[in-house]
Amino acid sequence: MMSCLEAHKPSLCHSEPLTTEKVRAKLTVLKGVLTSCYGPFGRLKQLHNGMGGSVCTTSQSTVLLRNLSVTHPILKILTTAVQNHVSCFSDCGLFTAILCCNLIENVQKTELTAATTIKLNKHLLNFCISYLRSEICGCRIPVDFTSTQILLCLVRSILTSKPACMLTRKEVDHISALILRAFLHTIPENTGEPIILGKCIIVPLKGQRVTDSTVLPGVLIEMSVQLMRMLPARKSSALKVALFATSLSGDFSDPGEGSVVVSYGVSLENAVLDQLINIGRQLVSDRVDLVLCQKVIHPSLKQFLSNHHILAIDRVGVTLMEPLSKVTGAQPIGSLGPVSPSSYGNAKNWCSAKFGCKHFFHLIPNEATVCSLLLCNRNDTAWDELKLTIKDPWVLLGGGCTETHLAAYIRHMTHKEPGSILQDDGCTQAELQLIAEAFCSALESLAGSLEHDGGEILTDMKHGHFWSVQAGPPSAVNWPDLLSRCGCGVYSSQEELTWSFLRSTHHPFVPHTRLPQEALEITQQSAHSLTVDCLTAKLSGLKVAVETANLILDLAYVIEDKN
Amino acid sequence: MKSPRDPGKLLGFRPGADPGELPFLSSWVPGLSNPTREVQGQAFPPSEFVKSSGFSNREAAPVRLPVHSLLPVSSPPFPLPVAPAALGQCRCSDGCQVEAVSPPSSMAVAVSVKTALQVAEVLEAIVSRCVGPEGRQVLCTKPTGEVLLSRDGGRLLQALHLDHPIARIIVACVSSHLKKTGDGAKTFIIFLCHLLRGLHTITEKEKDSLISENIQTFERRWKNCCQWKFISQALLTFQTQILDGIMDQYLSRHFLSVFSSSTKERTLCRSSLVLLLEAYFCGRVGRNNHKFISQLMCDYFFKCMTSENGMEVLELVDDCFVELNVSVIGLPVSDSKIIDGLVLHRDFSVYCPADGDIRVAVVREIIQPVFSTSRSEFVLNSEAQFQTSQIWIMERTKSIMKYLLSQNVKLLLSTVKQPDLVIYYARLSGISVVDCLSSEEVSLIQRIISLSPFVLPQASLQCEISDTALVKFCKPLILRSKRYAHLGLISTCTFVPHCISLCGPVQGLVEQHENALHGAFKMLRQLFKDFDLNYVKKANDQNDALRPCIYKNNRKSNQVPKIGNHSIHRSYQDTGIKNSDKLEKTQYLKAHSNLVVSDVELETYIPCLTLKMMPPDRVQTDEIWRCLPPENKRITDDYELLIESNSTRNSLTENPGIEISYENFQVTNIAGKGSMLPVKYKSLDTCISQSFCSSSIPAGCVLPVGGTFEILLHYYLLSYAERCQQLEEIVVSKLIASALLGIPKILYKPKKGSHSFPQIYLRALHTLQTSQPMISCQAGLESVTGKYHVLTSVLQCLTKILTIDLIMNIKRQPLKNCDQDSEDELQH
Repeated sequence: MMSCLEAHKPSLCHSEPLTTEKVRAKLTVLKGVLTSCYGPFGRLKQLHNGMGGSVCTTSQSTVLLRNLSVTHPILKILTTAVQNHVSCFSDCGLFTAILCCNLIENVQKTELTAATTIKLNKHLLNFCISYLRSEICGCRIPVDFTSTQILLCLVRSILTSKPACMLTRKEVDHISALILRAFLHTIPENTGEPIILGKCIIVPLKGQRVTDSTVLPGVLIEMSVQLMRMLPARKSSALKVALFATSLSGDFSDPGEGSVVVSYGVSLENAVLDQLINIGRQLVSDRVDLVLCQKVIHPSLKQFLSNHHILAIDRVGVTLMEPLSKVTGAQPIGSLGPVSPSSYGNAKNWCSAKFGCKHFFHLIPNEATVCSLLLCNRNDTAWDELKLTIKDPWVLLGGGCTETHLAAYIRHMTHKEPGSILQDDGCTQAELQLIAEAFCSALESLAGSLEHDGGEILTDMKHGHFWSVQAGPPSAVNWPDLLSRCGCGVYSSQEELTWSFLRSTHHPFVPHTRLPQEALEITQQSAHSLTVDCLTAKLSGLKVAVETANLILDLAYVIEDKN
Repeated sequence: MKSPRDPGKLLGFRPGADPGELPFLSSWVPGLSNPTREVQGQAFPPSEFVKSSGFSNREAAPVRLPVHSLLPVSSPPFPLPVAPAALGQCRCSDGCQVEAVSPPSSMAVAVSVKTALQVAEVLEAIVSRCVGPEGRQVLCTKPTGEVLLSRDGGRLLQALHLDHPIARIIVACVSSHLKKTGDGAKTFIIFLCHLLRGLHTITEKEKDSLISENIQTFERRWKNCCQWKFISQALLTFQTQILDGIMDQYLSRHFLSVFSSSTKERTLCRSSLVLLLEAYFCGRVGRNNHKFISQLMCDYFFKCMTSENGMEVLELVDDCFVELNVSVIGLPVSDSKIIDGLVLHRDFSVYCPADGDIRVAVVREIIQPVFSTSRSEFVLNSEAQFQTSQIWIMERTKSIMKYLLSQNVKLLLSTVKQPDLVIYYARLSGISVVDCLSSEEVSLIQRIISLSPFVLPQASLQCEISDTALVKFCKPLILRSKRYAHLGLISTCTFVPHCISLCGPVQGLVEQHENALHGAFKMLRQLFKDFDLNYVKKANDQNDALRPCIYKNNRKSNQVPKIGNHSIHRSYQDTGIKNSDKLEKTQYLKAHSNLVVSDVELETYIPCLTLKMMPPDRVQTDEIWRCLPPENKRITDDYELLIESNSTRNSLTENPGIEISYENFQVTNIAGKGSMLPVKYKSLDTCISQSFCSSSIPAGCVLPVGGTFEILLHYYLLSYAERCQQLEEIVVSKLIASALLGIPKILYKPKKGSHSFPQIYLRALHTLQTSQPMISCQAGLESVTGKYHVLTSVLQCLTKILTIDLIMNIKRQPLKNCDQDSEDELQH
């Protein structure tokens, strides 16, 4: 522990790190950067490394946080927490980060002790989660898997929240449809419990139009033009496939720890080649049509196979092995011994395809859950989102409505039944009011940061939804004419609502819980304009944000090791 | 709302207590300048304490240190001190007390209680904010960029990289204490600081009287040194002779137990375990998670336990904690859960779904035969030979797999990476394989299902499989896109395999929770053991309070024990040779030409070999009282006396050279301290006390949290001091008694009204005086042995600090210290 041999520099110890102006300023800057990126109208950031490397334009939290070099330990904690969250859910990164910053900022203003704030934050979080998970929750919609509407909305919401993709409306529609189709492909037809999803291989293609993206069943293997030309003519019947996991290059496997002495005149190469040709003979006699090898095939063997009209493709790579095995039903062969007939697989057909400047060998399966999604602009986030949605088939209303609604509900409950949140923990009601206010305004200003163009944000006094209006509203306004739909698109302005400014103080009101059935039915028809978020990701984001904020608020010291 | 800055809090103390009798010393914690200035309530002794030991109601002038001299805790960061410069400044500010023998250029710096106190106070300031249920987190960054969250005192001290020599002694003591018990680092610092503060107050008072006498500074210094030695001996005597008696006789009547029945079969009471764990995690884990984590731990423990006594489970979990827990980063903490079965930190190399009768086999070598093993040669004479041998290898691998399958083995666990060929044949045979397992994981599996790995025969194709075991299931487990192998082992021991998956948004937090959980298992493991006290009470023990003053007697006959020691020492060596297998190492320290002290360490000491050394003049006193130094306990008096005699002579000759060598001698001893002198000297009367019942703290003893232990001990120490006649004992008892209150004071600092410390304290005193049962206002329990260990470790640390008088700064490349290494070896 106290090693004398290492020259240690003593550590630096800062007390009450959050109270210093410097840290606060840093937090504000970070928050500013993040909020300006938030939402579909978020501003893009150009990341430029003075030391070299490519310039990157983004508004995504993943890219942004990965590239920003954060030095202060507190900010580091915050950004790592967000990054870890994003790597799990690939969504709600900015949501988590901004909420966390807002919470820290607001709670500090209350000047309550850390102990109280942390306790109350935790209670509020539990309250939110149980509300969002409860039946009466007014801001979630069940996912109806019989219709694709909501799923499509989900994908679309995510795509539109990534302004850096630079997609037009038409392109968004196209890609959303493709992603959804690819996703539906991977769901096996006869589903038992548990559902094992198939695989979608995303093949990125640069320099093509977005609308050229397609979904193809089966596997695409990239090939060079020369190899493409060497391919024999297509066969119409089904293919028998052999899939090799072992190298067919004739390299000598591990000789062991001792030494191997080879007598003069003995050629191991010949010996191995003999073995390879033997395998080739067996393949010929077994009437195999296609040989796929993960590693390299010896040129002699390749020649031998092509002489016998067997198609041989090598260097497939380990990532494609599993999908290939799934597509064809072939067992990867791992030895140079006799091949057991049971390890062969089948394919319907193959064809060569050219997309842009790349050539592909397209293996068409009989019936399988593997497909290839040719994406011209890559987006896997939407993908993960769909997977999560299957696990927890609910979506939350997006577009800021969940946040404002939640805030309204918390306000109302802290006013009416503080006992339901306060679990006799030695906190007073006044303390609860203060912290609840901080919590709610953190949520509301999060929703508010969706607006980037200087517009005003309103909330209605019935549902507590989010409405945004363009900058500079006339003084005497007829709100229903000025507003059209709320953030998520469930309600229209023609429903006899009253509005107030979100930032202004207003009396707590009772937001309507439990989405009315007719509202849902309206949305089913006009689902096109609905914005929704994945429940699992958002809940986890909420938890991570509050937990991280609590963690940071709890810090009494920062000890920096300066070695 | 009460903030630490609020000075009104101090005033708030007074109305509850009698203002006339409660001296209130306050001082600024040095280095804590704006904005986090802290005001500390000082000793809080009852009135007669003030009278007898001379604690005055003097308001100590705020001690402000030059900021560089100590660890700064203020918001603008300062580097931690570099020893000589810092101490040089200390000396200036503290001119009349600390003077170096030599001019400052020689870089030798005298040590005073004041310096030690200053260091301890800074450490206390840091540590006290993390202590107890109201404690907060500390964020430590490593030079590698990692970020660690911690409330663990040991970790914080380590992270500070302290430079100050005294601080380093303290840190070393804390870490050796932690090695032993794994808990109590923060309490250690607070308690030590309060002890030093108490000592400092005594000195301040005596200094006044000394100044009036106008003695030469230099002589005064020696006088000071002698005084410290004197006090340190008194502390030691207290720790070895008085403390255990008080623990056994008085404190034990307040002990509660986590075991619900008093019969032979001890059953663990769930509710008390919950209380115990909650209190433990309160001090270890961030405040928004401690309830959750303690619930998790409690569930885990009960799920893993089959029998009533969880000792075996505790040992296993403590030993293999790393293997039994999986950290998942990126999910909220509340997603942590207990997983039934064992989760291996590896994915399947081959996974073949199987159900029904699944057997598992463990292998430690590569299954596929190779051409040549090490130190052998394989001669290839023809191509055909090469081909046949390759075919043979394939066939053999295949046949082994076939054989395994015929034995119903569906799962193969391997410590080594199996080649592709093995994996291929395993897949063909439908055997799942997990390879590259760590040897810890495999040994854990062996421990759970008592399965030994199978050995492959070299020659024949037939292989005999010695051992397989059934598993309930084996399947892949995906935690946050990472895949693990998940096995349902059928345990053959009392441990029912379960794993914990700990989630957290950041790595640092997960690590903190892991450490806290591991520490909790360590704590429970210690709690579930009986702890022998260094105190034997005779069956017909009439007078319980008074201790015969062996100390005095021995002092008079200074020379006797030395000679005795010599001869006895030799005889000990003989026994050492006889029992050479148990004796790890004997080490001699030549402190002085005519003085040989032996430092003997026994790793596995057999209790029946209880040797005792009693100097002739102590044999009689033995009849009434006997102090058995137990294993890992402290020193006999004679040893101390030798030092005493030695130092007195030194001081008479006033030879600094000898003084220094003496000091080195001390330091070396101190370094090897955790394991120091478990020597039980061969006694002339080898009567092993059959008639005496040796006392102990029984397993599972707990007390309510919130300073109950401290207040109880405080009370009994004071009452002991009242009956005591020896001046030094009175001083020491009172010193310790008042220092003990430091911990509850910090714990109750944020509390107000009837839960403020003076109120609690007065109430406790009242209940004790009227011998009513103690009622704690806080739910939660803590281990008595843990507290006891902290107390003894602090006393040892303090004696160590007090016996050092000079710190010498050596500007040289540190030498590789062989002694230290060997001691480290012995400790393990």
